[in-house]
This record gives sequence, C-alpha cells and structure tokens, in this order.
Amino acid sequence: MSAIHLQNLVKKFGDFTALKTMDLAIADGEFMALLGPSGCGKSTTMNMIAGMEEPTNGKILFGERDMAGVPMGRRGVGFVFQNYAIFTHMTVRQNLAYGPRMRGAAKAEIDRRVGAIAEMLQLTSLLDRKADRLSVNILQRVAIGRSAIMEPAIFLLDEPLSNVDAAFRAVMRTELKQLQRQFKQTMVYVTHDQLEAMTMADRIAVMDHGVLQQVGTPLEVYNNPANVFVARFIGSPGMNLLKGRPAESDRGLVIDLGPLGVTPPLPDDLAPAVRAARGDVLYGFRPEQVTLSDRGLSMPVSFVERIGARTIVHLGESESAVKAVFENDVGLAIGQTAIVAPAASSVRVFDAATGQAIKAD
Amino acid sequence: MSAVTATISEDVMKTVQAKPALRDEGAKLGFRLTLPAQILVLFIAVFPLLMQLYISLTDWSPLSGLGWWNAWSLWNNFANYTDLAVDARFWSALKRTAIVMIVCVPAEFLMGLALATLFADEFPGKRIFYSILLMPMMVVPAVAGYMFFMLFQSGGPVNDILSALSGFPVTIAWLSDPTLALIAVMVADIWQWTPLMFLILLAGLVGVPEDQIKAATLLGANPWQRFITIVLPKMKTIIIIALAIRVIENFKIFDTLYIMTGGGPGVATETISVYIYKLTTQDLIWGYVAAIALAILIVLSIAAVFAMKRMAAARQEA
Repeated sequence: MSAIHLQNLVKKFGDFTALKTMDLAIADGEFMALLGPSGCGKSTTMNMIAGMEEPTNGKILFGERDMAGVPMGRRGVGFVFQNYAIFTHMTVRQNLAYGPRMRGAAKAEIDRRVGAIAEMLQLTSLLDRKADRLSVNILQRVAIGRSAIMEPAIFLLDEPLSNVDAAFRAVMRTELKQLQRQFKQTMVYVTHDQLEAMTMADRIAVMDHGVLQQVGTPLEVYNNPANVFVARFIGSPGMNLLKGRPAESDRGLVIDLGPLGVTPPLPDDLAPAVRAARGDVLYGFRPEQVTLSDRGLSMPVSFVERIGARTIVHLGESESAVKAVFENDVGLAIGQTAIVAPAASSVRVFDAATGQAIKAD
Repeated sequence: MSAVTATISEDVMKTVQAKPALRDEGAKLGFRLTLPAQILVLFIAVFPLLMQLYISLTDWSPLSGLGWWNAWSLWNNFANYTDLAVDARFWSALKRTAIVMIVCVPAEFLMGLALATLFADEFPGKRIFYSILLMPMMVVPAVAGYMFFMLFQSGGPVNDILSALSGFPVTIAWLSDPTLALIAVMVADIWQWTPLMFLILLAGLVGVPEDQIKAATLLGANPWQRFITIVLPKMKTIIIIALAIRVIENFKIFDTLYIMTGGGPGVATETISVYIYKLTTQDLIWGYVAAIALAILIVLSIAAVFAMKRMAAARQEA
C-alpha cells in the first residue's frame, strides 16, 4: 500500500510539452481516475509513475520514497495495459507465474501463490488454457492477476476497457471495481471515458493539454466544475454555457444574454461574487437541470434526439446553442419555440476571460 | 509446389465427382481456369521429375548415342542406387556438406540474431550500417567467390592483415590446405548469407509486441530473461523459416565454393553439388547423376515436411 505524490511533474518530448507542472496527491488505497481527451497527458503521467518514462522535471514519491532512478521492474507497480499484453504463447498459469518466476521464487512458492490468486479471480479451471484464446473479461482477470501476484502497492490501469464493446463494458466496470475492493491497492486508472471515471473512481483528475484542470470526487467535478473545460467535458451532453454580462435588475443580479434576453436572477450566494468579478461571464447550467416553463430563455428547437429513457432537445444555434435533457418525451418538434428555465441551484457562472469558475462565497 | 497442385486438383476432382448436379457450371469452369497452370506445372515439375526417375534406372549417358527416351535399353536393375550406397566419394561429399551446414547455418543464425537485436534499437548511423550490412547479400555469388579467392591467396590481404597483427610474416596457403580451404569456403558463405538471416530475424524481432516486453519488464524480468521468455518464443515461426531457407540453400552450396577451390585441393571441399557437377560435366554418367539428385531430393523433401510441421505447430503456439 502506498500513497503517490506527484510534485511539479513536467514532461517534454523535444519541443513538445506533454505535461506542464502537475501536482497531485493520491491517497493510499484510493481509486484515482486520470480523465481527459487523447493527448491530454494522462498516459504520459501514468507511464512516468510506472517508470516507463523519465520525468523532465519534478518528483514522484511513493509514500516517502523518491522514485527517481528506480527502474520500472523495481517500483512495485502493477500495470494493466490497454490490450492487456497477455503473453499469448503461454498458458494462464505461466502468465500468472511469470513475475515470481523471473524473481527466482521457489517452485512450491510459485504454485501456492498462483493457486491463491487464481482462486481469488476465479481462474482455477482455466489455468492450463492457452492464453491466446480467452475472452476479454478473462484476459482482464489474467492481466490483473499477473500483476496482483507481485502484491504491488500501486496498480496502474491504462484504458483497459477501451477495446471492449459497450454492452460488455458495464460488466467489466463492475468487475474491476469489485477487484479493487478485494485488493485494496492504490489504483490509478487512465481513461477518456467519463462514464468509467464517474462510476469507478473515488476521485477524478481531469486533464487537458498537459494541464491538470480539476481534482475531485465524481460529483464534485460534475456539480462544481472548476473551469469551462471541465464543465463542457464532464456530463453527457456537457454543461450549457452562454455568454453574457452581469446586470442589475429589480429582482436581483441577472445575466444579460443579449438577444436571448436576461436570465432569472442568480442565487443570493452567487450574486456577490459575480458582481465582484466584473466583466463578461459565461452562464452555465446542466442540460439535465432544465424545466420547461413560461418564464425563462425562449429559444427555437433545432433538433430532437429521442434515445428511449431520455430526450435531448437542441435549442438555438452556434454560440447560443443549448441542450436540454428530459426524462420523458416532451412533445417538442423542430421549429417550435420552447421556454426553458434552468434550476436555480444548478446555475454556475464562469469568468469569460479566464474560463475559471466564479465561486459562491 | 507439387503439394499445392495436388490439393488443387484433388479439390477439383472431388467437386467434379461428388456432385453430379453441380458437375456442369462451377466445377467445370474452375477446372478449365486452372488447366493452363496445371499443364505448366506438369511440364516444369512433374515431367522432369519422371524423366529423372526414368534415367536414374539406366546407364544412359549423352555419349551413349541414344535419345533419352530410348534409355530403357540400358536398364541396369537399380545399379545406380546400389552403387550410390557404397560410393565413398558420395558419402564423404555428403559428410562435408553436412559439416559446412552445421558450422555455417548456426554461425549465420547467431550472428544474424545478434545483429538484429542490435538493430532493433536506435543508434547513430543506423541507416548507413544497415545498408552496408545488406551489401554482401547483393553481391553475385560468383563475384563473391572470386573476391574470397583473391583474399585468401598466400600473398593476399588476409595474410597481410595477420602479418600486421602478429608482427611476423604470415604466408598461409589457405586454399591449398585441405582443412583451411574448407574454413575459407565457410567464411565466404557466412559473410554472404549472414545478412539474409539478419534481415529475416530483424523483421521477426520488430514484430514482437512491445507491450508484452514492457509487461515483462514491469514484472521484474531482466533483459536476458525477457529475451528468453518473450522474444525468442514469439520469433519461433520466423526462426524456423530462416533456418529452413538457409539449410536448404546451404545444402546446395556451389558457386562461391566452386570458384574459390573448385572442390579442391583434391576433394577436400567437394560438396554434393560440386560432386554432381563434376559427374555431370566430366564423367558424363547422367543415369548415376539422376539417381544421386533424386535421392537428395527425397531426403530434402522429408526434411522440408518435418520443418513445415514444426512451423505449423509453432504458429499455433505463438
């Protein structure tokens, strides 16, 4: 077991900066997801933790121990690759036994450990199967077992579900989460799929362009995105953001959205901070937290997606486009005008210039 | 090739025979379409083979004054094959060929593998070295033979270098000494064919999944362990292919060697091919030559079948 501290971590490939000054503390036994679009630096971060790449600058600490110069075979890190990297020319047993065998463990000791881990992962009946003809969920278990047998303090998983079809992914997510509970290791999970991050992780580190955007529990990053990127990236669809200017009215502070009119008044706790920030702002609200009403933003319906459990209504165009998600089919058709009102508690305001959230006092 | 032909014609025949209803359209068309190729194969593979078998059972020679088709009048009751069994020169040529193979092929393999491992990583000047390394393979074997013939002269560069290194004048008569001549011939073969081994093995080495190597590293395997447990098993198929190509080619070793030594001194470097060549062009006993060649073909075919079975098994495993 081990906590991980990343301190001022920087990684450059020639002129390209893959990671700009990353600071992150991952607690012992925590399931941390590194989430972001491709090229955001999440895999680079993971590879540096594993020791596959040397940081250009900064430190990686496991507990108190500085990992600089510790080769990847000696970090006590379990790594599950995107395609699992199972040794296909071996049996399941040989795969599981690989680590202890390479470290020269005694035969009896290897057998005991392989037996125990196979029992735990329900692989006992498959031990003598050749590893090239296994289904994906078994491959995943073998990959995890092969690392887990070394009893690593830290488990790193590099998009292990990205090659799996959508239906199966749900099964695998559950299985993975259960395995983590069993092993109780610190887990770092790299993914570009927010659903995976949201469902499995204790905390999520959202990254973009080599910069750590926000760290928080799934609900924190969903409810209180630190900036515009996180607001747009988390949630499906992402948060609606409308450009506007704060304006005083007799009902309190509102945002003047130009042609769209003015918003309902901002909640009392948010108003002073917005007032203090001055300048243009982005008015944000979750598509899921919108109701149809007679007072609110009046916008034409441009498109309707009916996906069974939910209906996604696209309103307005380009700059002022808004999406609204309803539980039921609300009977709106393209061309109609809808009046939508965001729930007051869901409204978030961002500084238009910096993209940072304006926090309530 | 003949194995492939056999399968095709068998399949066609099966279709033709098995389903009278379908006999017309598909099967007939297929048969007609493959007919030219089959006739061609018949003439370039099957016909010469049958002709060879026929002649090998006779004392026919181009000097006998008979057309080869009339060779039956020189029928010799399998004497060529019984002679072959007790032909000391044949057996020693075979033994020599085997020695050359046992030395050359593993040497080429090990050097090729070492070079491939080296070239799998990046290093400055890699592309230039790569081109230089492939050059021997592109030299016409006869030219290579002449090159090594010059190198190994008693006043040649090899002795000059040895003199310079040792400080004493070295005048070894490489190509006149039975043992040294064989060594010189093997050096030439290794020089020329290590690049091919290198090329094939490099292709195999690059194909080893990098993830699995990384996974092995993370599990604590050192470079040697990774090589033995991951890289080599993954390369098994390609190693068998490379070895099979070189074993077959090396068995037929001729051009370089013939130009360097002509099989001499005496018969010290006389391999099977050289022996056959001499029998064909000097002794002109073609019936006997046909018998030898056929015997070798059978032995090599058995070896090839064995190698292919191993290869199929290896592919299953990999």
